[in-house]
Amino acid sequence: MATELPTNSTNGQGQGQSNGSSNTKDFTVKTGLARMLKGGVIMDVVNAEQARIAEEAGACAVMALERVPADIRAQGGVARMSDPKMIKEIMATVTIPVMAKARIGHFVECQILEAIGVDYIDESEVLTPADHAHHVEKHPFSVPFVCGCRNLGEALRRISEGAAMIRTKGEAGTGDVIEAVRHMRTVNAEIARASGMSDPELRILAKEIQAPFELLKETAKLGRLPVVNFAAGGVATPADAALMMQLGCDGVFVGSGIFKSGDASKRAKAIVQAVTHYNDPKVLAAVSEDLGEAMVGLNVSAMDAKDKMQGRGW
Amino acid sequence: MGSIEGVTNITVGVLALQGAFNEHVQLLRQAAKILSTKETVERTWSFTEVRTEPELRSCDALILPGGESTAISLVAQRSNMLEPLRDFVKVTRKPTWGTCAGLILLAESANRTKKGGQELIGGLDVRVNRNHFGRQIESFEADLNLPFLSDGDDLGSDKHRSPFRAIFIRAPIVEKLLPHVAGEQQGEASIGDTIVAPSRTIDESVARGINLGEVEIMGTLPGRAAALKTDENTGKLDAEAGDIIAVRQANVFGTSFHPELTGDPRIHVWWLEQVIEAVNLRRTS
Repeated sequence: MATELPTNSTNGQGQGQSNGSSNTKDFTVKTGLARMLKGGVIMDVVNAEQARIAEEAGACAVMALERVPADIRAQGGVARMSDPKMIKEIMATVTIPVMAKARIGHFVECQILEAIGVDYIDESEVLTPADHAHHVEKHPFSVPFVCGCRNLGEALRRISEGAAMIRTKGEAGTGDVIEAVRHMRTVNAEIARASGMSDPELRILAKEIQAPFELLKETAKLGRLPVVNFAAGGVATPADAALMMQLGCDGVFVGSGIFKSGDASKRAKAIVQAVTHYNDPKVLAAVSEDLGEAMVGLNVSAMDAKDKMQGRGW
Repeated sequence: MGSIEGVTNITVGVLALQGAFNEHVQLLRQAAKILSTKETVERTWSFTEVRTEPELRSCDALILPGGESTAISLVAQRSNMLEPLRDFVKVTRKPTWGTCAGLILLAESANRTKKGGQELIGGLDVRVNRNHFGRQIESFEADLNLPFLSDGDDLGSDKHRSPFRAIFIRAPIVEKLLPHVAGEQQGEASIGDTIVAPSRTIDESVARGINLGEVEIMGTLPGRAAALKTDENTGKLDAEAGDIIAVRQANVFGTSFHPELTGDPRIHVWWLEQVIEAVNLRRTS
């Protein structure tokens, strides 16, 4: 079960940061939307028709993209921001928030997505990175950002750049939940370790994991990430979704898992119910029944390191 | 039981189907702590997350949190919670407060809903306009003067009278106050792209103690133009008119903003005081 995210926290701004008060206020509005998405499912959709199916299934938001990760993986090539026309069609079709992906470090794609008016930007390792060293400076944007992480250091670096929401990276497009579990457990274990540390010890840890000290200190005190944290990357069944919730995630992204399965609408509804009733095995059993074929999936343990998306990002 | 002092155990639920429900639980705990310093009676508050009908049945009062109203509504429907919720709000008329998405669900009429509409619970004779201010980049914070926070209160400190910093996230507003009618809001149902909540008859045993009356405006957002970051849109907005962002009708209270995101428990304290009054009335009558 997720640890509480205090309402009066600095939302990951860190007391020692010199972002200025107006920046902090904007950040409350950015993290506020992430809080509204909690306990919900955000679904990858490639067109308006899928977006409607997701909305009817009870998705709390959709992620508009041209190809779901499973297809990006299968087709190869450079994966970029989606056509703004397609994103706008989806925005015009549904009333729930619409997110879109930009390449890591590609701040112009982010400017374009902000100009279209998307509700959240995912600076995502699922697309081909555009910068070998830098992530986007996210604070100056009005639109909030979500970013992936594999561990605590990565999460805190993204938050210090301005991410208002974090997700596990998992291994997108595989339908194998093992990496999402690994990343969530890693973050939890690192926070638990940090929580028992003195300030001098935290300074050493901050260097080790390449995270800002103030943010690390705040995280250690809270006992959780200072922003909303979703699961992503390999969730394919209601049980997967509930597993991630019981591990402490605030909500779940489902990418290829829905529209690469036999009965997308039914599976989408089942995953939504599973995220609400994640602690009730009877409900989980009922919604898991007769869902048809799950996405075929790729076994992550049989993959080459070069085929994994999670290593993208710095 | 029987005397007002006797009512010491009160259970307040927060609907936990989707959204920022935990934030309300945190603020309720803060508010209860503040109340315990003001009151002579020692009360035992329970604040619980509500996902099922039995959990709802244990509640004296309920908060519907912010989140996505379409998602909350669909999950409620599939979890067989819509009718129990309508009973709670409209038949037994127990104290209920909705914020943002919660306000939408408590409205008798709503527009700009998803294609095919959405299920409403109802209880407030108003029409809400969803996502009134636009998308996330139009979300904002603003200082509100909420008269009910200073009325008849003995605290009177500066902190108490200072404006309430309110956070609006893809927020709805109350577009129109509707007359209370027997049955559903048929006039509203005939307007295109507007949906209405089904009617439920109030329980006779509680009807005596409740005056449904008219909807009270509890707060407006004046001169929102001033709250905008850029000046571009100010020409289009009527700075004087003000948008209705807080309303009350009998047992139902609604705010289009998020007091649960501010860390400022004043509205939660005020609402718990209303809950105490209502529960006292119910248990002693």
